[in-house]
Amino acid sequence: MEFFTDFTEKFESFIGVNFWTMLFAWINILILYLFLRKLLFRPVKNMIDSRQKEVDTMYDEAEASRTSAAQMKEEYEEKLKQVGEESDQILKNAVRRAQLREEEILKDANEKAERTLERANEQVALEKKQAMNEVKDEVSDIAVGIASAVIGRDVKPEEHTALIDDFIRNMGEDK
Amino acid sequence: MDNLDIGNGARKLFGIRLFGSVEIVVTTTWISLLIVTVTLILVGWLAGRKLTKRPGRFQVIVEKLVTMLYNLVEQTMGKHNLKYAPYIGTLFLSSFFCSLIGMLQVVPSATGDLMVTLGWALITSALCWYENIRNNGFLGFLKGFTEPIAVMTPMNIISEIAQPVSMAFRHFGNVAGGGVLTSIIYAALASLSTLVFSFLPDKILSMIPPVFQVGVPAFLSIYFDLFSGFVQAFVFCLLTMVYVGTANPPPAVPAETAEDKS
Repeated sequence: MEFFTDFTEKFESFIGVNFWTMLFAWINILILYLFLRKLLFRPVKNMIDSRQKEVDTMYDEAEASRTSAAQMKEEYEEKLKQVGEESDQILKNAVRRAQLREEEILKDANEKAERTLERANEQVALEKKQAMNEVKDEVSDIAVGIASAVIGRDVKPEEHTALIDDFIRNMGEDK
Repeated sequence: MDNLDIGNGARKLFGIRLFGSVEIVVTTTWISLLIVTVTLILVGWLAGRKLTKRPGRFQVIVEKLVTMLYNLVEQTMGKHNLKYAPYIGTLFLSSFFCSLIGMLQVVPSATGDLMVTLGWALITSALCWYENIRNNGFLGFLKGFTEPIAVMTPMNIISEIAQPVSMAFRHFGNVAGGGVLTSIIYAALASLSTLVFSFLPDKILSMIPPVFQVGVPAFLSIYFDLFSGFVQAFVFCLLTMVYVGTANPPPAVPAETAEDKS
């Protein structure tokens, strides 16, 4: 019996039914919960979340700027190509215009030269004709003079024009 | 047998008399709880202050642990129950450190006191009931006892009582049992020392300390205090998460508002 009481006493102290302890445990865990939530869990969680958000934003921004950079590069390449084509076109146009101008100038020059030559020829022909006429007149006078001297009488140029002309023509051809 | 102290449990320190017959019995467990609470508040304050966007090593560890906690709660209870993560974390730290404090050999482990673990287990039950009533209404909660058939009502009531009791006794039993075993082994090692040096005269023998007590209990302590303490804390938290998570199942329509409550 003594052993039994001893055992129950020991068992009682081992199990220790004391509801004040339970109350104290509740108070402790409540205080600890409030403090840890305020001091540790919420700030750390908020920090992690805000950093996560920041990282996400940064990645999004990087992705966006990468895309826009690629697009801009494409645009610039396109523009460069256009500019090259344009400059090629301008150069070609200039060359063609220059060629046209050259041809024009050459043609003009040729025409001018030809015209000058023609005019010169005409002048020469005219002067030749004039000289011929002058010579013809002089020669006919001389011929009339000589003939009147030879024949001894007056030769009337009006009556013998045909004869004189024929003579002169023959003389000219002989030259 | 008399000098073998298995009374690793709480010892009465003093009583405070209230209204004559009511006496608040203050035990050694109170000291343990107080030490753990104050220490953890200090640790939490140290760990949670000076948080920066670019964390140092210490902050990385703290963040890793907090992330693990939130991930565990999310996996076990669902995203809508993330508001319970701080309580689960508090419960885990409390339980683990209340087991560890027995290693100091100054005050007993607070979890070696049934009243502490029963108190925590009753909080779990209370949370379950709260969630149940919040989701189904009080009548729905009462009706839940008659399911699946009315005959099952006594069984359901017993299981409702058994749930906190089993949780409390599991945790208490592991820690207190470990303490008892450690005490027995200490005593055995002391006897072994006496036995080995028994050829010496009594006068010298009484001067020799129990040398075998050095070293050997350390390995036992690693198992019974560190490992067992960790496992019991984890199991207790896991059961709390499962029970409360079951009482508050995810809403049928995945509402994103549940996220904000955390």
